[in-house]
Amino acid sequence: MIKKSTFLLVALSSVFSFSQTSHVDLPNVSDVAVTMPVSHPQHSTSVTVVRGPYLQSGTPTSVVVKWRTDIATESVVHYGKSLKSLSKKASSNNVTTEHEVALSGLSPNTKYYFNIGNKAGVLSESVSGEMYIITAPKAGTKQFVRAWILGDAGTANNNQRNVRDAYYDYVDAAPKNSGKTDMMLFLGDNAYGSGTDEQYQNALFDIYDDMLKKSVAWSCLGNHDGKSADSATQSGPYYDIFTFPTAAQAGGIASGTEAYYSFDYANIHFIILDSHHTSREVGGAMYNWTKADIQNTKQDWIVTLFHHPVYTKGSHDSDTEDRLIEMRQNFMPMMEANGVDLILNGHSHSYERSYFLNGHYGFANTFNPDDISKGGHTVGSNGYGDGKVDSNGAYQKANTAAEGAVYITTGSAGKISGGDLNHQAMSVSLNQLGSCVMEVEDDGRGGQNLTVKFIRDNDGIDDYFTINKSAWVLNTDRNASGQKSAGLLYDADKDLVRLDVDKNDKLKKVKFYNNIGKLVKKSRRKTINVGKLPKGLYVIEVITNQKAYTESITIE
Amino acid sequence: MLSLSMPLLAHGDLSMRIAEKTIAISEDPDNSELYYERGLLYQQHMEYDNALEDYLKSQSMGNSNKALYYQIAEVHFLTKAYQEALQSINSYLELDSMDLSAKKLQAQIHFNLKSYKKSLEGYRTVILNMKDIRPEDVLEYCNIILAENNKNYKAALKAIEYGLDQLGPHTISLQLKKLDYLKDAGLTEKALEQYNYFILEYSRNEFWYFKKAKYLVEIHKPHEAFISLKMATVAVEQLDTKFKNMGPVIELKEQIKSLESSLNNQKS
Repeated sequence: MIKKSTFLLVALSSVFSFSQTSHVDLPNVSDVAVTMPVSHPQHSTSVTVVRGPYLQSGTPTSVVVKWRTDIATESVVHYGKSLKSLSKKASSNNVTTEHEVALSGLSPNTKYYFNIGNKAGVLSESVSGEMYIITAPKAGTKQFVRAWILGDAGTANNNQRNVRDAYYDYVDAAPKNSGKTDMMLFLGDNAYGSGTDEQYQNALFDIYDDMLKKSVAWSCLGNHDGKSADSATQSGPYYDIFTFPTAAQAGGIASGTEAYYSFDYANIHFIILDSHHTSREVGGAMYNWTKADIQNTKQDWIVTLFHHPVYTKGSHDSDTEDRLIEMRQNFMPMMEANGVDLILNGHSHSYERSYFLNGHYGFANTFNPDDISKGGHTVGSNGYGDGKVDSNGAYQKANTAAEGAVYITTGSAGKISGGDLNHQAMSVSLNQLGSCVMEVEDDGRGGQNLTVKFIRDNDGIDDYFTINKSAWVLNTDRNASGQKSAGLLYDADKDLVRLDVDKNDKLKKVKFYNNIGKLVKKSRRKTINVGKLPKGLYVIEVITNQKAYTESITIE
Repeated sequence: MLSLSMPLLAHGDLSMRIAEKTIAISEDPDNSELYYERGLLYQQHMEYDNALEDYLKSQSMGNSNKALYYQIAEVHFLTKAYQEALQSINSYLELDSMDLSAKKLQAQIHFNLKSYKKSLEGYRTVILNMKDIRPEDVLEYCNIILAENNKNYKAALKAIEYGLDQLGPHTISLQLKKLDYLKDAGLTEKALEQYNYFILEYSRNEFWYFKKAKYLVEIHKPHEAFISLKMATVAVEQLDTKFKNMGPVIELKEQIKSLESSLNNQKS
């Protein structure tokens, strides 16, 4: 049970220092978390948590805890690995109603219980341990991951609540990792009609309060959020409420903006784009960032989310609307070529899920269900199937081919709006309320399955599919081919490189170039001591009386 | 009678809201605010002519709200009627001279009218005073700097550095533009340092080795280019198989081969 306690804060007029967030170790403080004495009520003001706490920007070693109080006060988070011993503290003496405290120095993949409060005491806690942070695993870790995906949820009505409750039922009853939700992925339009602060309170915080206290929430900007938020100035409720990494704090490449960003979780790379306010041009800042980011990741899975759907014939039409067409024609060729696996969109208030696709950038009527090897737009022998393990079989993404992605338009977590729902590239099109869950887990053959299920508001699972990467050697370290090549032997124990020069050749010169192409060592010997060279990649230019050639070596 | 059914599927909610607003106008035709509100919806729906018509109607009915001036200016700007846009944004700024969004729009209008000095002056105010600038703002500012003087790379690079200082030193779009400017300005050593920055900063660097090699060829450093190509080849070899089989990497391997062969031909 989560308890929001109202305490008496005496003497708000006290002098507070405006220091930065600080972290200290404390003795067990959980015992002081329940009550505070009431003294001098005539000078007292009660402080109540009116929003949150909620978790943002989770990384393997850090997380941001945010909350709002009705009256400005300091910010204190007590946390620890045991509910009975919240022995660490992060705090800020800034007096504010909008609290934001970064917890850092955490261990990866570790559960920390926490409570929030001010200098006077605890303001919100869960005595049953339902307020916690589980830090992200280190990038590259292969493990079970579950993400809850919510598109266009923000109606604040019973439709939204029913969709929420159906997911809660699902996750509570899940045979594996019951109760575990690693992250919430919001696909925009999180609060109708204009994403105002009040609407966010009603449609996000009041609805998902329990989950937001234990699962990091990520989001992209929807058009309704964009009515009150201004990406040009990164201001307005959406940007105030969410805190996203701009400097690659959670992995990926620095975008310099919260409008689009990326993060790693386990062996999945997530790329979040702004399809509403930001330019969608090829060569624009967001495009250049996306290309650099996707070409820099070594993660096994790549998932992207943005609001405007690549394919839809729901309450919007991807054949006629500019943002949808631009995302499809400008971004998808580049993202598909670089191995994107799953594309999550909202905007249309329905559920539409594609076949296993590649290269379909035209209108719906140009979709060709044939395999790409026959000039079509599906991938693999069952790419035009339903992707169900127990039916046409999971979609396969082999090591020898990077093509194949599933596109989901899932914007019915708050309402349904119908439409023709007949896009040819879609395997399933439903005018039903629901949300999606993505689960990545071992396939038992050394690979992994990425499974997405559409969970209806009535608890039914009306669609599911799996992408399998069992043929992939997941997460191998870089191979050591650079350490040794045909013409040389590197003895790491003795720090020696021995060149195997043709017996008819006379060695004249050997030059070592470091990883930025700088000449760092010269020699005329066949056996060369490289003990003083820093770790890294080297190209070795070997010049004999007969020829010049290169070798390479990685000194570790 | 107004039909609600036809346009619904075009833009979903938006079409419906326009239709609803039209009904509201028909019930209260003297309400200038309703025309303004429908104009906003039309604008979101990219029906700019209809939006402008509603804004002007609202104005003619006595709506003197400054926001109306902004919207009129924005619609004119979007339809490339820059003189009219300027007139309206100037009216807005007479009412609120400190509004940075309006200053920015004014600077963008000046830019399109080729009044580069005015544009630069206005945008500078925006850049220096906006609380949360974006990479896009810095890039637009640099564009104006170079439009005003196409050799002023010094100022453009200074603006990039300012952006990196504000947004974070590794903001990729700014670092990429910095590279472009260093090359365009003929600052070859600094450009090479910038290539090295990308090589060292990122975990996958095969593309950067190749791009550096291409640049080294351009500035007539074939031997250095050759070494960089070798680095690119090794970087590709060290990739996991899944990346080696991706289209861009396959294409890169072909490009490496081609450039290597061209360099070898030059030697012989």
